[in-house]
Amino acid sequence: MLINSVIIILREVFEAALIVSVLLVLCQKLQLPRRYFLSSLGLGGVLSIFYARHIASISMFFDGVGQEILNACMHLMTFICLLFLIFSMGRRPYYKITVWAIAGCLSATLVGEGSEIIIYIQGFIGNEQLLETVLAGSFIGAGVGFSVGVFMYYLMINLRPRKGIAVSLVALVLISASMTTQAFQLLIQADILISQAPLWNTSSWVSEGSVIGQILYALLGYESTPTPIQVGGYFLSLILASALAVRTFNTFKWEKGE
Amino acid sequence: MRILLIICLMLAITPLFAAPTVNIVIRHHLFYPSTVEIPVDTKVKLLIDNQDQTAEEFESYELNREKVIPGHSKGVVFIGPLPAGEYPFFGEFFPKTAQGKVIVK
Repeated sequence: MLINSVIIILREVFEAALIVSVLLVLCQKLQLPRRYFLSSLGLGGVLSIFYARHIASISMFFDGVGQEILNACMHLMTFICLLFLIFSMGRRPYYKITVWAIAGCLSATLVGEGSEIIIYIQGFIGNEQLLETVLAGSFIGAGVGFSVGVFMYYLMINLRPRKGIAVSLVALVLISASMTTQAFQLLIQADILISQAPLWNTSSWVSEGSVIGQILYALLGYESTPTPIQVGGYFLSLILASALAVRTFNTFKWEKGE
Repeated sequence: MRILLIICLMLAITPLFAAPTVNIVIRHHLFYPSTVEIPVDTKVKLLIDNQDQTAEEFESYELNREKVIPGHSKGVVFIGPLPAGEYPFFGEFFPKTAQGKVIVK
């Protein structure tokens, strides 16, 4: 139970930590006030508690697929916010869009990952013996995931501004494509999008259950058996976000000497 | 805009026929039945009733499905149409005991 708790919480915290660290680096590089970042984290935390408390009834909306629809909406919202962020960052007239886009991404990420952690842990309340083990495992998992986030943050924040912005843009592009493919997967699961045969099967090379598979899922939205809709959505998002990222990078107002 | 158009197109071609339902119960971190048989090339609705106090996450890499089902609640997961074969699934929160498979034939 201890190991299982470590793995479950680590996976959730790791996914959130990657996104949060990139956004925090951007806040620093773009010199945005920290209060926006902190309030978005707070909002995400409150909403994740609300979502976790009501997930049973939310799940039964839309003939039992409410959870998929809400999660898909959050992924699509994150995708749209990321596009706005990539487009607006570094442009003074669009300052407010940048702030709102970061707030949207942060809140949605926290709701998605945070609610799952709460749902997992709250099931053990009342079973003191198991709860103790689960909490111990959760703290270890959260600690490791948080450390990865801190490591990522310091890795990116110490890069020279031009390199730092370039790395952040690449990360945002990859996250945005991953969000689309995950949203499409949820809509297929909810029977809203048509279920198709997978385009390929790479499970014999990299299993989704393996450590590498889990890391690739968090970084790139890796799926070993993606359907044509998912692959199409992934590459369309990748192209769209990349085009915006290249435009932003080329028109970025650099400080003298950069 | 393109993505919106794709979503609208996909919505338009989603079959309107109701899928047959298969009931699965989660009790004491086990799936009942642990083996589910479904026909080839047929979409099926899995209605999963979690009777435990703890939450469970229905997960299958082979079926490409993942859903959290809180304690004392139900969840719906659509699977298929699928070619013949065996598709394992498991409960991610209790993977040692919660194991099952879908046999398509």
